[in-house]
Amino acid sequence: MKLRTIAACAALLVSTAAMAQELAHSPHRVSLEPPEITTIDRGHPGTVELQFRVARGFHINSNQPKQEYLKKTELHLDAPTDIVIGRITYPDGEDRSFPFAPNDKLNVYSGDFAVDVVVRPLSTVLPTKYAVHGYLKYQACDNAACYPPKQLPVSFEVKIVKDRTQHRRNPAQSPHVHS
Amino acid sequence: MSTPEIHSESHGPQEPKAEPNRPNIPGPIAVERRPEPSKHSGRRDPVILIVVAMVISIMLVFGIQRAHKARITTTAGKLQGHLAPDFTLNTPDGRTMKLSDFRGKAVLLNFWATWCEPCKVEMPWFVDLQNKYGPQGLQILGVAMDDASPGEIQSFARKLGVNYPVLLGKEDVGTEYGGLEYLPSTFYIDRSGKIVDHIFGLVSRSEIETDIQKALGQQVASK
Repeated sequence: MKLRTIAACAALLVSTAAMAQELAHSPHRVSLEPPEITTIDRGHPGTVELQFRVARGFHINSNQPKQEYLKKTELHLDAPTDIVIGRITYPDGEDRSFPFAPNDKLNVYSGDFAVDVVVRPLSTVLPTKYAVHGYLKYQACDNAACYPPKQLPVSFEVKIVKDRTQHRRNPAQSPHVHS
Repeated sequence: MSTPEIHSESHGPQEPKAEPNRPNIPGPIAVERRPEPSKHSGRRDPVILIVVAMVISIMLVFGIQRAHKARITTTAGKLQGHLAPDFTLNTPDGRTMKLSDFRGKAVLLNFWATWCEPCKVEMPWFVDLQNKYGPQGLQILGVAMDDASPGEIQSFARKLGVNYPVLLGKEDVGTEYGGLEYLPSTFYIDRSGKIVDHIFGLVSRSEIETDIQKALGQQVASK
């Protein structure tokens, strides 16, 4: 029992140290949680949810910042042939004021936020796994300073399958009549 | 018929059970109050260990982040006491300016960007301070480290009433000044062209004023 606890503590320490090191050396203040593979029917739209995390003590502008000159957070994706990237839905930002301008409110993301991406494979696409690549453009600040705009690499996989709804809709294709 | 067994289930502290090899002596002599078996302490140990591990983890995260910031500051700190790297940059209206053109003046060199909200806070202070200390030999220079167009930068500066030259920054100039990983970054240069101080991030107006006085070679009251 004790050994197990010590091992768990050691693992916690090592992983935290690794995370902290990565954060300190990484140019990014935003990370992408590893996305799960989304299964989508060929010819039908599916939604992929991408979970991002803003490092503690930082904030980034939302997709619709209030101030004219601020850089908005924006996802750019390149889809493989025969897969169309549809609407990208960003969450509402949070109106917050910061010590550097206590009377102003900025519309920002901090902590975790999710971006939904509609992916529509054409009906001609070969059923298999496809990788979608792109980047999240963002600009982070803390309470006293701002970091230049950055591009966080983003990639996720979608598994395209034959249209399952079509099979369900036309079950009586067989000439045999079951009584 | 068997006699029903009496179960004496007690939820309170239990009497220590007689060990099989030890003679079970009745009476008060047998009541040996020994500390409870380490049922609770055995449970507490892992909790303490986990709490300690979590505290160390948090300290690690903060420590490494601080060290990272300190590293950036140290890189620029190496410039302190040395001649400010010279540069030639354009103004949004196409004129060219060299830092060394201002030798003999105290220079407040402020790197900023239109997307930097904290930078916007100190720009009106710089306007006031240019008016106040300009006659004593201060020249404020704003270098926009921005991907906005020269027109946008000019219009942004005009909106804030900027009364000092604004220059269009270049990456290599930023590198010369320690990388400028974050903005605002301000360097205070004395009349001989040496960097006397640098500040990363937004600080109070009074701190800026103290550094200006230092750059001007004025007696600075101890903080």
